[in-house]
Amino acid sequence: MSSSLLKIDVRHVSKTFHRRRGKIDSPVPALRDVSLQVTAGEFVCLVGPSGCGKTTLLRLIHGLLEPDSGDVLIDGHLGIAPGPHAGFVFQSFRLLPWRTVLDNVEFPLQIQGMARAQRLTRARDYLRLVGLEDFERNYPHELSGGMQQRVGLARALALEPRILLMDEPFAALDAQTREFMQIELSRIWAQLGIAVVFVTHSLDEALFLGDRILLMGPRPGTVEEVLPVELPRPRSDYDFRATPQFLERRAYLWQRIRSMVADQPEFRFFPRGETSAPVGRL
Amino acid sequence: MSAFGRVSIVGWRVIALLIFLVVWHLASIPAGKLLLPSPLDVVPAFIDEVRSGQLLAATLSSLQVFILGYALAIATGVALGVLMGGMPRVGETLEIYVNALNATPRVAFIPFIILWFGLGTPAKIVVVWFQAVMPIVINTYAGVQNTDPDLLEAARSFGARRGQMFRYIMLPAALPYIVTGLRLGGANAMVGTVIAELYTALSGLGYLIAQFGGTFQTAKYFGPVLVLAAMGMIISQSLKIFERRLARWKSTRTEV
Repeated sequence: MSSSLLKIDVRHVSKTFHRRRGKIDSPVPALRDVSLQVTAGEFVCLVGPSGCGKTTLLRLIHGLLEPDSGDVLIDGHLGIAPGPHAGFVFQSFRLLPWRTVLDNVEFPLQIQGMARAQRLTRARDYLRLVGLEDFERNYPHELSGGMQQRVGLARALALEPRILLMDEPFAALDAQTREFMQIELSRIWAQLGIAVVFVTHSLDEALFLGDRILLMGPRPGTVEEVLPVELPRPRSDYDFRATPQFLERRAYLWQRIRSMVADQPEFRFFPRGETSAPVGRL
Repeated sequence: MSAFGRVSIVGWRVIALLIFLVVWHLASIPAGKLLLPSPLDVVPAFIDEVRSGQLLAATLSSLQVFILGYALAIATGVALGVLMGGMPRVGETLEIYVNALNATPRVAFIPFIILWFGLGTPAKIVVVWFQAVMPIVINTYAGVQNTDPDLLEAARSFGARRGQMFRYIMLPAALPYIVTGLRLGGANAMVGTVIAELYTALSGLGYLIAQFGGTFQTAKYFGPVLVLAAMGMIISQSLKIFERRLARWKSTRTEV
């Protein structure tokens, strides 16, 4: 792996949050000794149970958070502040409701101080890429969820960032829209050749999109395993869910995640052999 | 279609007004001209007041006090509200005093204002300002405070600096609240104008009201009252239209 191709280099990063109630300070460890390398044009998916620090890792890569220890390097540079190097796509879209679609896409460019004519051209280019060129004058609330998130994607890409960070971007969409968005995203990714880090709860989604899957474990978040996905692309061209690779990996990942959450109180409703759950006693 | 469906809402409003005028007229017969003049007496009196130029001069004088006080209230109120909302420490510190002042009848401060500013125009402007400023501060503060933190974080993720967050996120997010504050403040400023004209040196429409009321010229008395009602309605309706236009992007509107 040549270092010039290394887009994201996360080295032994740890992060602890502090929950303060009055004078009592209870530390909540979020990540412990996490490392991740992403090369140019690579698609990496982060999966794992809730509370495993997937989103925290994404924020650290972006610079929205700073690690307590360890380093985050983007293109070989340390300590980059949030800005145009990374495009961020949020689960809740986070479009500005008082701006039109076009004005939303050009918003980050406006922040960067780009001239109006230039940013309009740029914004229109990326609206065309996501297929929304006919909706530039609409307001976000007039669009469906899938369309709103396409605006979110165009907004992130319009910055022409070095990396694209996506935090469960399709989790708020219905199942059908979600599948279309996955196909759309893999098409755009193939066209732009940008490095992507994608957080998801859906194993199907991770296996459809990812070159590699990073399985994380909870409390504190650690990297449990890195799994390459060698299914040929484009994966929408065949029934990839019927391939043995997909089925094997899905079953394996599900088993791993299930064993991680088995001890957690919110999953205690799973009947287990050794527990003396009061089944049938009433 | 029923008879109710065929008459437009404007039609119903005219009908309601006519019924009111008839009741007024009927009530004026036993009450006598001195206590309650008939609308038939008010109209010629009103035309007289307009013809003599007396009403126009008084309106302009009141309008001057109103506009200066209201403008001052907008400038200071929005600035203070944005400051309180944008700097949580400042907001938390001042909030309780702003609310306390808002709950105090501001008429109680008039003798004090006279002590400081005399009886002339400056004192009147201060009275109007003091009446109008509180709802503007409180609504602006609430608007900035209620800015969606997710949007602020999104802006930060694109590299927005503090000033850009204010300009591009907090102010537009607060604008519908600010306009609501302006509408409530505008109504208060109207009240303040009349109070100022009655309690400091008599002038403008307030003077006419005091004059006609005190000398039993009740038919003329309704002229300035009508003008005040019209002014108040124009101001609050135009701000209401502005409010609706701003709320285009909102699915739910907040009424205060």
